[in-house]
Amino acid sequence: MLQPAILILLLPLLSAAVIALFLRRQGGIAAIVSTLTAASIAAMALILALHGGRGEDQVDWLTLGGFTLSLGVKFDDLAALMLVIVGIVGLCVHVFSLGYMHDDGAKARYFGGLSIFMFSMIGIVLADNLFMIFIFWELVGFSSYVLINHWHEKTSASDAAKKAFITNRVGDFGFLIGIIWCYWANGTVNLTQLGEHHVFSTAIPLLLFCGAVGKSAQLPLQVWLPDAMEGPTPVSALIHAATMVAAGIYMLCRIHVLMVPDALTVIMWTGAATALYAACCAIVQSDIKKVLAYSTLSQLGYMVAAFGLGSLATEENGIKVVIAAGVGAAMFHLTTHAFFKALLFLGSGSVIHGCHHEQNIFKMGGLRTKMPLTFWTFTLGVAAIIGLPGLAGFFSKDAILYLAFANNKAVFAVLAFTAVLTALYMTRVWRITFFGAARSESAAHAHEGGLTLTLPLIVLAVLAVIGGYVGIYPKVFTGVFELIPEAHGSDHTTILITSLVVLILGAGSALLFYKPSATDALEERSPGLFRLLASKLWFDEIYQWYIDKVQQRFALLLNFLEQIFLAGFIVRGGAGLVGLFGLGARALHVGKLNVYLYWFLAGVVVLWLFATGVL
Amino acid sequence: MSNLPFDPLLLAIAIPLAVAVAIACGLPKRWSIRLAYVGFAAPALMALHAWFYFAGQTQVHGYAYLTNYSTGLDGIHGLGISLKLGLNGISLPLFVLAGLVGLAAGLYAIQSTAERLKIYLMLLLVMQAGLMGVFASVDVVFFYLFHELALIPTFIMIGIWGGRDRSYAAMKVTIYLTAGAMLSLIGLIALYVKSGAPSFDLITLRQIIAARPLGETVQNNIFALLMFGFGILVSLWPLHTWAPLGYGQAPSSAAMLHAGVLKKFGLYGLIQIALPLLPHGAAHWSHTLAALAAVGNVLIVGFITLAQRDLKQVIGYSSVMHMGYAFLGIACYSVLGAGGVVLLMVAHGLSVALLFLLATSIFHRTHTFELTEMGGLAQKTPVLAAFFVAATFASIGLPGFANFWGELTIFVALWQYSHCLTVIAISGVVISAVYGLRAAAKVFFGPPTEAFARVAAQHPPSDLNWREKVPALILLAALLFIGFWPKSLSTSLDATLHAVYAAPTSAGPTAGGPAVSGK
Repeated sequence: MLQPAILILLLPLLSAAVIALFLRRQGGIAAIVSTLTAASIAAMALILALHGGRGEDQVDWLTLGGFTLSLGVKFDDLAALMLVIVGIVGLCVHVFSLGYMHDDGAKARYFGGLSIFMFSMIGIVLADNLFMIFIFWELVGFSSYVLINHWHEKTSASDAAKKAFITNRVGDFGFLIGIIWCYWANGTVNLTQLGEHHVFSTAIPLLLFCGAVGKSAQLPLQVWLPDAMEGPTPVSALIHAATMVAAGIYMLCRIHVLMVPDALTVIMWTGAATALYAACCAIVQSDIKKVLAYSTLSQLGYMVAAFGLGSLATEENGIKVVIAAGVGAAMFHLTTHAFFKALLFLGSGSVIHGCHHEQNIFKMGGLRTKMPLTFWTFTLGVAAIIGLPGLAGFFSKDAILYLAFANNKAVFAVLAFTAVLTALYMTRVWRITFFGAARSESAAHAHEGGLTLTLPLIVLAVLAVIGGYVGIYPKVFTGVFELIPEAHGSDHTTILITSLVVLILGAGSALLFYKPSATDALEERSPGLFRLLASKLWFDEIYQWYIDKVQQRFALLLNFLEQIFLAGFIVRGGAGLVGLFGLGARALHVGKLNVYLYWFLAGVVVLWLFATGVL
Repeated sequence: MSNLPFDPLLLAIAIPLAVAVAIACGLPKRWSIRLAYVGFAAPALMALHAWFYFAGQTQVHGYAYLTNYSTGLDGIHGLGISLKLGLNGISLPLFVLAGLVGLAAGLYAIQSTAERLKIYLMLLLVMQAGLMGVFASVDVVFFYLFHELALIPTFIMIGIWGGRDRSYAAMKVTIYLTAGAMLSLIGLIALYVKSGAPSFDLITLRQIIAARPLGETVQNNIFALLMFGFGILVSLWPLHTWAPLGYGQAPSSAAMLHAGVLKKFGLYGLIQIALPLLPHGAAHWSHTLAALAAVGNVLIVGFITLAQRDLKQVIGYSSVMHMGYAFLGIACYSVLGAGGVVLLMVAHGLSVALLFLLATSIFHRTHTFELTEMGGLAQKTPVLAAFFVAATFASIGLPGFANFWGELTIFVALWQYSHCLTVIAISGVVISAVYGLRAAAKVFFGPPTEAFARVAAQHPPSDLNWREKVPALILLAALLFIGFWPKSLSTSLDATLHAVYAAPTSAGPTAGGPAVSGK
């Protein structure tokens, strides 16, 4: 039963190896190999998830002194759902890349990187223990580094790749401590065994959460994700929007049994703060990819907050049931977000491709008529993310809002306000990009891309429309979707009204306020507020200050001490002392016979004194 | 299949030595080079054979391939010295490491344009014979003698083929390493004398000491000698300043062999000899050792690495830093900790040799080691860039490469010993990512610096050629193989460590799973 799962895992690794060894110069063939691999993964994932069984199995990977690390697969509904998401979005992105990266000089490296990413991501999805999650966790970080660094001749791309990996490592620092602590405290890190028995601890889940803070770019480690937009746009869609950044939420859902109320509170507020912070930042961005990046941060914050809201006690037919609603709501939003955000990113890729690599929305305009298919699919994506009733985002956002309403009113307020901002900035970017007259040469000559660019948009647009119903009427992945909180009665009405008000308030004010023009309306009318939002609260500046002024200076000081004090004063000084002694000893040997005679006589006297006991 | 008609261990030592002698006798250059291939390939083949057929060998006292060659000193005068060769689960990984790194360093030396290539190859072959001997010896005297045999060529090679500061470097390295070797020799002799064993061979020593353990004070004193003696050889902070200087100046193949293999002699001595025979001494000194390693090697040297602007210095200091993890694993005194150290030794040996090799290849294209004068090399040499990035990620412990297993198992073992030290050690993972990726970016990415653009205009850089690629591939393949299949080393390692560390493991983890420690 688990052979197909292993095959899905190893197939992309094989593809990457073949590309690295044999197809380095044959970019075209490499692209086909990688895309075919992605297609088989998607097909096998769907078959396995919908018709295959569920189960787990493992083999020992390393055994040393009582410590056993196993290579295992845990294929439950949660893993199956995530595998399907990775498979479908992965395939769409591969096909899109065929067109988008058609003329790239290093196509083989690009598609090899995508294959390594698929391997690593599927590894996280299937892993049955925390050490294995950590292993593939690091590997997705590596593939993300390689792909962000794709245009490595640009310093900005190389810096962004480095920043992404190092920031993730800061999170992984806590994550690894948490895993090791968990191992010694519980005697196992197997997810199923942890579910059966574990010790009560607040520190362990919080340390594990550090990993999610890095990978899912939560405050205060969010700084790498906007910079990661230096990578090719399809990569941003796959890795930095739909799948890898969502791995943090997936991991939390994997270990939700370890959670305790205090830890959940911290997680909830981290998510809520990130959601609000990133939404504020998104309002003032002028780069279409940066808007989407901050939007991703904000939506990830939504999912983390949803997870942190924890379980929900409901009454069904008079029986009280407690469900892990946080898991259900977070995974539901993760699913719908993967589709509509991948759609939006690929749509932006299509726009960027059409506009000859122009990314500034104020230099676009008028694309509605020039790129109609991109426009309509992007519109569906926007409608889904701002929660237009009936579309995917509406259902999953409502589930989170309801859970917040039931568990914590303050978080509910924050998330509702974030939803207003979401509607605002998405409508803003939609209006400015597609409407009005073309505001630059490249926008005037914009054109729709070929089939490889448009087909993935259509597929994802369909999923962004219907994706919500999978969760509302759970027929598949019931293990996850039955956990989605559902509002009844008056609560239902409250949530419905809230989300409609939020939508009208956000989208309406954006339509009134922003006109498709070459300048930002907010910058003109309220420059102070604009500058505050554009500052992003100086996170980057503070970190840069720490690196340059504290860390690097401390390193230089230690280096100075080592060179001057240790290698210089002590070592060279010690050698000098020995040398001085040598010089002194040499001065005694002047080479004159009578001097040696005096020394000899003196020696005899001293010896005699010793021998007679005078000394 | 697994039973050879000859002793692979003896051949692994004798063939390179014989080739070296032949070259010294005045073989013409062409024949010298051809024979040198044999001299470097033979130990590697023997090592690979031992690796894959180790489990099928008949084992005596936990050793496979155990043979005894009389030296005429055994028994007479009551000394008991004989050339006793054999491999157990601890020495096998290092024997393999020595074979593979030796082959890579040899191939890289043959294609290099070193002056007086014949003498250079001869010295490398002597070193290679010594290295194979160190890890194949069961007799403590030969263990030490082979180390000296490998050490002396290092001094000569730094002095003749070294960089600008070669005389000072050669002098400093010689004094430090001789001092370290001397201290450890005193320790080994003291161990022999105090145990009252009739022979220097490790199996007898183990049996005698198991029957009649040494007194606590004796153990403490001998362990101190071995710890600081071996510690100097492995660059324990603050006795490490010879290492970055020496590696910075040494010619590439010598640096590969020394940093990759010979430096592991000290750690190997601690794990194979000192820890099992002197458990009380180890426990007594473990706090000192762990504190020096964690604060000195990992934190202080880690930060110092961040300040380096010379590529070879970055690699040299990072190697000192990673030795800190090894000392931490030793301080744990557990099967897991010691096993982690062995895995890390192999992994670090392969990766640091690969980095030194690639650094020299980079130098041939940039004509400098100064990071500030490079940049954008990846545009001209994508394959070299790919190798270097892979080697960097290996050395900063990315899963999929062997180094990850060493670091992970040491961290897991260390948590039982001290939570605080584990946190310090794991913070090193972040530091090494910073300097590793920073160096890779400075060399390869971004636009070329002005200085490099000038060099590139005069000597257009070409990508890695096959003669450089083959040795690099050998090392990278081994790193990936162990990274994907750690059991290839850990199974026999685990068995041997359990047997050797059997007696006093009351504090160690039990087979059924760890004891609950928690807070």
